[in-house]
Amino acid sequence: MFSTLAEQIINGIVTGSVYAIVAVGMTMIFGVLRAINFAHGEYYMLGTFGAWFAIDYLELSYEASIVVGILATIVIAYVVGRLVMQRMVGAPAEAGVLATLGIALILQNTVILVFGGGYKFFSGGYIEPVSVLGFTLAQQRMLILVVCLLVFIGLELMVTYSRMGKSMRAVSQNIECCEVVGIDVPQVVLRTFILGAALAALSGVLTAPVNVNVYGGMGELITFKTLPIIIMGGLGNVRGTFFAAMLLGIAESLVATYIGLQFRDTVGFVTLILTLMWRPYGLFSTEARF
Amino acid sequence: MSLTQTSRETPLAEPSLEVRRRDLRLPLGILVAIVALSAPFLIGSYALHAIIIALIFLLPAHGLNLLVGYTGLLSLAQAAFFGIGAYTAGLLAVHYGTPFYVNLVAAGLMAGLIALPLGIPALRLRATSFVMCTLGFVIIGQAIAKNWISVTRGDMGLSSIPKPFFALGPASFTVSGTTGFYYLTLAVAVLATLAVWAIVRSPAGRNMIAIRENETLAESVGVPTWRYKLIVFMLSAVFAGVGGSIYAHYLTVVSPLTFQMYYSTTMLIIVLGGGAGTISGVVFGSLLFVGLSEALRVAPELRMIAYGFCLLILVFWFKKGFAPLLNRFWSFVGGVK
Repeated sequence: MFSTLAEQIINGIVTGSVYAIVAVGMTMIFGVLRAINFAHGEYYMLGTFGAWFAIDYLELSYEASIVVGILATIVIAYVVGRLVMQRMVGAPAEAGVLATLGIALILQNTVILVFGGGYKFFSGGYIEPVSVLGFTLAQQRMLILVVCLLVFIGLELMVTYSRMGKSMRAVSQNIECCEVVGIDVPQVVLRTFILGAALAALSGVLTAPVNVNVYGGMGELITFKTLPIIIMGGLGNVRGTFFAAMLLGIAESLVATYIGLQFRDTVGFVTLILTLMWRPYGLFSTEARF
Repeated sequence: MSLTQTSRETPLAEPSLEVRRRDLRLPLGILVAIVALSAPFLIGSYALHAIIIALIFLLPAHGLNLLVGYTGLLSLAQAAFFGIGAYTAGLLAVHYGTPFYVNLVAAGLMAGLIALPLGIPALRLRATSFVMCTLGFVIIGQAIAKNWISVTRGDMGLSSIPKPFFALGPASFTVSGTTGFYYLTLAVAVLATLAVWAIVRSPAGRNMIAIRENETLAESVGVPTWRYKLIVFMLSAVFAGVGGSIYAHYLTVVSPLTFQMYYSTTMLIIVLGGGAGTISGVVFGSLLFVGLSEALRVAPELRMIAYGFCLLILVFWFKKGFAPLLNRFWSFVGGVK
């Protein structure tokens, strides 16, 4: 009984890590653009498809396919960023919702049109189980945990100390002042967007061996998981996002075990609505920001 | 044919020196009415099917327009209420064999009633969180439809929903075939359009616009904004529920897939593409975006990609959709330069 619970919590933390890596990009993009990125899950899907393509068609190794998946996503994110995201600086919130919804439709359905809508098998990854502290965990899940920690430590350092991190924080506080002191706002927006998309792709490539299935609609599912996370985490809040993601991952895993697998996908939005009734500005923000 | 908000408010242009052309609005309106009434004899049955689908989607779109276009609340929940309406009508028809108009009213009422407890927490939120919350309703609705198997039959959905029939005392009458259904949908759509027109023209409509333009200011001049937002949210659900009931009777099948982002997105495209805050724009939008793509038998993926580009174009270049174009056409027909 206890060991099942502990195992489920660890599974939940792994799932939470996957969500966290995707959601943190989304929340950073919100920070600089004030726009919810409805297309963010699609970059997760693109990364996975890139890796799947590399393995199945180019016959590369899993390691190389990670690089291919992320690079492909970066190229697409660069185009989308230049053409769409940069225009959204200073646009009203509704414009952001609609434009990114449009991008999500385009990306998702183009992939379905090109590769077909069916499930594809993702071969690759490290699926050997290992034992740590009495728990058996697939290597790939370990890898996800480690990468998630590294990503968040790296982001924390970058946001605090690096020039780009500082300019990102500046843009998220006041765009006009940034322009006055000579921060290239569109450039910061583009870089943040590409970074976020690349992280989503990384998450996708790392999760593919665990999920095994690759299909065109997978991005939408991830978007629907990460939207509640970034709002619960307090929009634009990197640390809050991390904890909200872990919380949701664990909650999903427990609900799937003890209530029923079919309710797993609603946990996020139910939690979100309950949270918002209690704290309308998210769990980790002290004041209403947006 | 209804005039749009803006064209009604702006007085006619100053009298110009040119000789004014004749006002052709009435003849054009009559012509449109004649074409609409005789459509089944003019076009094939597949095109008629496309128009029926467009008219069905017009209902939730009208509701969404009240919310987005007139009150300024961007909602993605329309698909949830559409689905609730479809299930209500389907369950009533399958289990109790109630006549069509009972199902239609019940579906609208049910959607409106469910919107009340959903709207109270949701409407307390600001822009972004409100959008998320309404999206949550769709996702949760789908989960309920999938898992409440004793009522909804889960993924199998409800099938063989009877064709709409009317019973008045001993006489009963069943609408079957595309032509009959076309007239039925047309009648409901026209009534709904008139209802929206009446709402928007009324003082309540003015208050809604005031909330859209500046909520704080509206509140300060005595508009009970909270009550208005809640009522409009419920009203938009009623429209969506009614649309859902017709949809269920037309397709004779309801499945959990009715609760889908796809429907919310489609309704959003109709409203924003046609022109949020205008009635004729939404009518035009549903015929164009739903009717035309249905008629051209575009593959669903291609249609979604086209919708995506439409959204981008609307956001960045045509912020008002087709409404300005329609207005200009209408003034042209009216003989105003």
